[in-house]
This record gives sequence, C-alpha cells and structure tokens, in this order.
Amino acid sequence: MSDENDMDGEDIKRDDPMLAAEFSLGLLEGEELLAARGKLASDPDFAWRKEWWDNWFAPWTDEISGAEPSADVWGEIEARVLAASGQEASGLDAANVVELQSKVRRWQWVSALTTAAAVAALALVVVPAGTETIPTPGATEAPQIAAADPLVAQVPIGDTGLRLDVTYMPESERMLVGAIGLTADGVHDHELWLVPADGSALQSLGVVTPGEVRSVTLPAEITQNMGSGVELVLTREPIGGKPVDQDAGPVVAQGAFTQV
Amino acid sequence: MADGPTPASAEAREALKAAMARLADGDRSALEDIYRATRVKLFGICLRILGDRKEAEDALQDVYVNLWQRADRYDPTRASPISWLATFARNRAIDRLRTGKVRGGAVPVEEAAPLPDQAPLADSLLVDAEQTAQIHTCLEGLDENARGHIRAAFFDGKTYAELAETADVPLGTMKSWIRRGLQRLRACLEASE
Repeated sequence: MSDENDMDGEDIKRDDPMLAAEFSLGLLEGEELLAARGKLASDPDFAWRKEWWDNWFAPWTDEISGAEPSADVWGEIEARVLAASGQEASGLDAANVVELQSKVRRWQWVSALTTAAAVAALALVVVPAGTETIPTPGATEAPQIAAADPLVAQVPIGDTGLRLDVTYMPESERMLVGAIGLTADGVHDHELWLVPADGSALQSLGVVTPGEVRSVTLPAEITQNMGSGVELVLTREPIGGKPVDQDAGPVVAQGAFTQV
Repeated sequence: MADGPTPASAEAREALKAAMARLADGDRSALEDIYRATRVKLFGICLRILGDRKEAEDALQDVYVNLWQRADRYDPTRASPISWLATFARNRAIDRLRTGKVRGGAVPVEEAAPLPDQAPLADSLLVDAEQTAQIHTCLEGLDENARGHIRAAFFDGKTYAELAETADVPLGTMKSWIRRGLQRLRACLEASE
C-alpha cells in the first residue's frame, strides 16, 4: 500500500458504478444492501452497471470446483415446480378476474373512506413488526400531505398479476394493506417497508397477511414520512418477519404512494 | 485458462442457450435439461459460498425453482446463459448468507475452505475464456492486497465488515483498499471494451 493515510474509506469516490461493484461482489449488508436492491429495481442505469460487473466477475466462477449435488435434489425441484405450476395455472385462468376485483376493491376503498373505520374494525389488527426496526434518524423535511386526502399504492408482485393494495388515510393515521389473492408458501413471510423520501432508514410497516385486508394505526415517526411519491418495498423474510438481529431479506416488489 | 472453447463445449453452450429459450416459452422439460447441464457448476458455487452441503442444496433448489418461475428475466443479449446462471446461483447463495438462514459463522471458514480451487470438473460449463483472460489481466494490475480482498469477497461471500475483521484493520481501511482496487479494475475493464 502506498498511501497509508487514506484510511477512512471515503477517499475514493463512491459513485453509482462503485456501489454497483460492491453490490455485485456481495460486500453490502443491512440497509446499504436494501437500498442497493431498491435502486436496482428503480434505476435502469444502476441495473445496467450491476449486470456489467456481474458479467465481468462471472468468469471467476470457472475457478470454483464443480460438485455433484445429492441425487434427490432434482426430485425436490421438480415437485416444487409442479406445485407452483398448478397454482399458476389456476391463477392464470382467473387473472382477469383478479385484476378486475382488485380494481374494484381499490375504488371501493377510495370512494368509501367514510366506512374505513368499519372495515378496520372487522380486520385483524396488525402489530407492526416495527417496534424494533431500523432506527430513524432525526426527522428532516417530511413530505407534506394535503389535508385528509388518502394515499394509495399498488405493489405488483413480480409478473404474477397479483399485487398488494396499500391505502393510507392521514385523517385517522390508519393504513390498510390488502393482500387478497396471495397465498402463503409456509416458508416465508413478506414484510412491507416505507422508504422515507429523505433517504433515511427504511421503516417497517409490518408483515403482510396473505389473503386478507389488514388495518394498522401508524406511529408518528412513520406518518411523518408519508407522502405522495413515497416508495414502498416488500421483502421476503423468514416466518414472522425480519429477525431483530438480522438483515432484511431480498426486495421482491415495490411501489409508490400517489394521492387520490 | 485462456484456451478457446472446445467444439464440445461450444455445442454444450448452444444446447444450453436453446434450453433457456424453451424454458422462457414455458416448456417445463427444458428445466431438466438445464439442470443436467449446469448442476455441477452451480452446486459448486453454492457450496463454495455457503460451505455446507445441506444449505447449498437448498440454495440450489431455489435457483432452479426461481429460474422456472422467472425464466423471462434472462436476457440473451446481455450475458451467456452459463454466465448468467452462475451469477444467479452465487446471488442466491449470498442472499441466504445475508438473510441469516445460514449464520455467518455456522460453518467455520476453515471447514468451508478445503474445497480446492482446482480445475473445474470436466462436465461443468466454462463461462467465457476470452473474458476470463481479460479480467485476470486487469486483476494483475491491482496491488496484491486489494486483489486478495476482492477475491475473498467474491469467493467467500465476505462483507466489508467481515473482511476488515479477518484482516484486523479498521472498516474504513478495508473500504479504501477495496474501493481503490475496484476503481482501477473498472478503468482497466472499460479500456478493454
């Protein structure tokens, strides 16, 4: 090493291509990893650069010795694929119906907000996994929400045609999360996160319950970050949500609030 | 290392490309062809990162199930199938490390390490001889320290924090070493394009 003085790690400009390299190598963890994953989905230039690094690093895998997996691995893959295909086939048949239903449902929410309290009363109460969550830095300029206009967000799940419908009502500080049409795989839960517009840490909005509409009252530290254009990400976690002492899982879907 | 692909491997690559196209069209039988052709290489990658057969087999399952579910994600204009699959498998294995399914220390590094980085098995596909030569040339241009740590990140799935701890240096120092290396690496690779 020639320059022993440059020891703060910040002497090298950490531009997007650098971040993409770190991401590609797998150096990132925690919030940085989550942020990079979010960026991958929303920033085509970054996604391109990540793939550029991936392609350059890929030949390195030729140095890794191959190994033969157990003979039963293929059978398990096949069983899982068959099970998934069965679900998919019925899902496809109903795709249009699902689409229509969720549209209707969304408009019902938007147009019938006065009944939201009733809906909320029927729904189970979600305990935001979030009491432990990622610490929030001091509030900066939170997006302003005009009066009591609700915010809605759709979070499409891959290309399954399914999505989460999230509605937030500033007046009551309640959020409804609808995951109708989704089914639990018994191995994972999915956790919803708010991505504050000021670049601060993601905030947990709790674990999503497949097949239900749930209602939750949000604490002030989360509501202050609510606003039109604010993004949501959905991560895949072990059952029960992100363990306290571990990093969040991979981002599997994302969306953004719009005011209606 | 820089030998051109043999006719046999060129044939294997074409067969794999065709199978990937069939898979994207929803042909389930293509998945088995892809599995037969790539399992040795991809399992080797998972095993190297995770250091545990059971975990690596679970990761391998995820790789192929995911591949089936999202075969459309592969873009043949950006990467060769084996390059993309190798990256995909490595990412899945690292996901498992990071999400805590495998505790970072569940398998001591010493236990994971004995897998020798020797010649790949004959039936595992190589990524790309020309690209391999280029990245090795560029890596030679890095100082040994940066090169070693970048390699450890790639082959062992180490984070900055883990690398700093292993090397017993402050986190910032490790970041400096690696970022300086990556900056040079990028310049060299871009110059070669």
